[in-house]
Amino acid sequence: MRRGFSPAKMRLAALFLLIAATELSAAPLFVERAKSLNIDHRYTGGWTHFVGGGVAVFDCDGDNLPEVFAAGGAAPSLFLRNRSTPELVRYEVETHAALNLKAVTGAYPIDIDSDGWTDLVILRVGPNAILKGGPDCAFAPFEGLHFDGGDGWTVSFSATWEADQRLPTLAFGNYVDRDDPNGPFEACDDNDLFRPTGGAYLPAEKLAPGFCALSLLFTDWNRVGRADLRVSNDRHYYVRGGAEQMWAMEATPRLYSEADGWRRLPIWGMGIATRDVNRDGAPDVYLTSMGDQKLQYRITGDGPSYEDALFAVGAAAHRPYFGDDGRPSTGWHAEFGDVDNDGRDDLFVAKGNVEQMPSNAMEDPNNLLMQTEDGRFEEWGKVAKIASTARSRGAALTDLNLDGALDLIVVNRYAPLEIHQNISANSGGWLLIDLQQPGKNRNAVGAWIEVRANGVVQAREVTIGGGHASGWLGPHHFGLGRAKKVSMRVIWPDGETSEWRDIEPRSHITLAR
Amino acid sequence: MSITKIIAAAAVTIGVATGAFAAGHEKTVVGVSWSNFQEERWKTDEAAIKAALEAAGATYISADAQSSSSKQLSDIESLLAQGANALIILAQDAQAIGPAVQAASDEGVPVVGYDRLIEDARAFYLTFDNVEVGRMQARAVLAAAPKGRYVMIKGSPTDPNADFLRGGQQEIIQAAVDAGDITIVGEAYTDGWLPANAQRNMEQILTAQDNGVDAVVASNDGTAGGVVAALTAQGLDGIPVSGQDGDHAALNRVAKGTQTVSVWKDARELGKAAGQIAVALAKGVPGNSVYGSNEWTSPGGTTMNAIFLAPNPITAANLDAVVNAGWIAKDKLCQGVSGGPTPCN
Repeated sequence: MRRGFSPAKMRLAALFLLIAATELSAAPLFVERAKSLNIDHRYTGGWTHFVGGGVAVFDCDGDNLPEVFAAGGAAPSLFLRNRSTPELVRYEVETHAALNLKAVTGAYPIDIDSDGWTDLVILRVGPNAILKGGPDCAFAPFEGLHFDGGDGWTVSFSATWEADQRLPTLAFGNYVDRDDPNGPFEACDDNDLFRPTGGAYLPAEKLAPGFCALSLLFTDWNRVGRADLRVSNDRHYYVRGGAEQMWAMEATPRLYSEADGWRRLPIWGMGIATRDVNRDGAPDVYLTSMGDQKLQYRITGDGPSYEDALFAVGAAAHRPYFGDDGRPSTGWHAEFGDVDNDGRDDLFVAKGNVEQMPSNAMEDPNNLLMQTEDGRFEEWGKVAKIASTARSRGAALTDLNLDGALDLIVVNRYAPLEIHQNISANSGGWLLIDLQQPGKNRNAVGAWIEVRANGVVQAREVTIGGGHASGWLGPHHFGLGRAKKVSMRVIWPDGETSEWRDIEPRSHITLAR
Repeated sequence: MSITKIIAAAAVTIGVATGAFAAGHEKTVVGVSWSNFQEERWKTDEAAIKAALEAAGATYISADAQSSSSKQLSDIESLLAQGANALIILAQDAQAIGPAVQAASDEGVPVVGYDRLIEDARAFYLTFDNVEVGRMQARAVLAAAPKGRYVMIKGSPTDPNADFLRGGQQEIIQAAVDAGDITIVGEAYTDGWLPANAQRNMEQILTAQDNGVDAVVASNDGTAGGVVAALTAQGLDGIPVSGQDGDHAALNRVAKGTQTVSVWKDARELGKAAGQIAVALAKGVPGNSVYGSNEWTSPGGTTMNAIFLAPNPITAANLDAVVNAGWIAKDKLCQGVSGGPTPCN
């Protein structure tokens, strides 16, 4: 129904919207659960915690329901045990000593040793850490990896399994060099790359120059079986000379340049999301920033070239969409997902002022941009009741109670963490797909899942990284609309491609090799 | 950078060709692309641009980018489609405006970069002379404190104007620094030009110097406000402090004697000049022939035609000027002041 809205009609009074929304069976709607569960967790701290505030979502007790680990900044981090049912998202605070950590900016779940128990990479102001996961959400420092957590101001992370390696290659993005006496401006730290040899890590290789990275993502942007490292950088601190970067992951990493087709883009980069939004088989990107958020379509061809979506596409989300604060927005975590299971990817963007930056909006609501049939995006955050005006940072858009609808967790600076259960009255079908490989890279990072429904193929890369200091490990969610006949295949990380197979809508399956 | 000539704001008149350069009888349409018209200050500029265009018989059309650099690109496409023969652009993000300058250039439409530098040789640059603002700030403070321990409170490190200002300040005090009359005991950028950050920086400098500070060159009125708050807390208010913008609170401080100077940039002059330049360019006057224009090389190495208007330093000696211009009401200027400088006496 909402597909019928023209942009002109969207500009009509809010009253009209509300009336219309009640008539729409497919309107997105969420209900916030954290408050009623008495969960009060805030990301706090001074300047070094103006950025960060991530959340990791992963199952660690074998019931498939994902637990939550949230950064606390100067306050201790938080661990939540998932006690949800398909009807109700429920969590209990169970922050045991191993997960009670300070100076945490974010975290990413990853099964580093492919033992079937999720491990955690913890990003910190100070030494980063890798925690080895065990049964019943036990975590302990991961011994024997020879991993040096350094002493940087780390807010970003990504991982990929390079060819023939048992352990993943890890990239850590460092923000401002706190030890530079001439800083903080024009004092960006370099980023760190850890490549494995056998069962342990080599010393860090420096990825220089660094331009104050706030998001990293290993992505096989060209679908050739090798993930390169995209780096989103904050112009506020590099000031001049910097730009977005992408490292070609050759034996010695090499920065793509204009000669490769990479175009210079200086933005206040805070978060990376990737998805084949326009269903041409090539992954597009969404980069959060100040003012305009950037939706860029991949220009197909061999080079890493992207073009900006026109303003009319509706994805710029450049300023608050309600209230009278006309100053530009500040975007952080961004994530694609089909919130209403209509077969099209929608987009969540976390927003919030850095602290009290006068050039930018103070009351800056989070966005829920619903994709229309013609590939535009329309703002539904307020109607869907996720339009928090807190200083939001990290987030996760994933299914918390395995009911086939994407839920949402948001970490806020100074304000309570939000857990939004998706209660949209959906009519669309869905799939939850887990991949499993024997031996190394158990969760098939680097694989592509292709789902064919309604004559369209959704191609989805399995990645670890991106967003703002936040990630999840769990089933991949696909919306199917009204499709009855659905098929899927997997292109595994080593390139082996499965046959197309039919699959029943509304099912949660694990595909094992 | 080389500014060879400064034009007194009040004396600026831009030559508009009426015969030789007039392109037929088509009416001149000037398109103005605002970055975010919700910011109050641009309404003054707009009124001045409109008045200048009306006086020249030109039509004003405009668009508001609402802080979106991508909306600004589509706005400019639209202004061109509506028949603009000259554009005045207040860039939301000067690093993202390139495609708009290209689109205008493709249609032979001249561009005036308004207030914010558009680093492109095809654009004309009009702004107040920020180096001169810095000179005026330092001159006023130096006159009040020819010797002593100075603090330099700079603007936002992310704003190129902050360094222009600082450069102008240094020109004026350099000789006194070389002679040993002036010692710079503290210097700090102000993140986001935020008064609270300026206050914190000033407090730290006062602590480090055991309050041994004789004068403060602050780069705008917001930072001056933070500085004066820090000084007042230590009982040091009244030492020379500079500022910029003609903020009402700052002008009141000048009347009170806690701020030495506020360099005022009259937006009406900038708007008027922009309208006149745009009409001249639309009628075919080359950028380097616009009256008062200078060839200027940007810090990034781009040579462009530019006009830098001279600002007006407001001190206790000329507070009348802002009242007479209607910039501030006398009762607001003189609030809490008795027996102060004219007109607050």
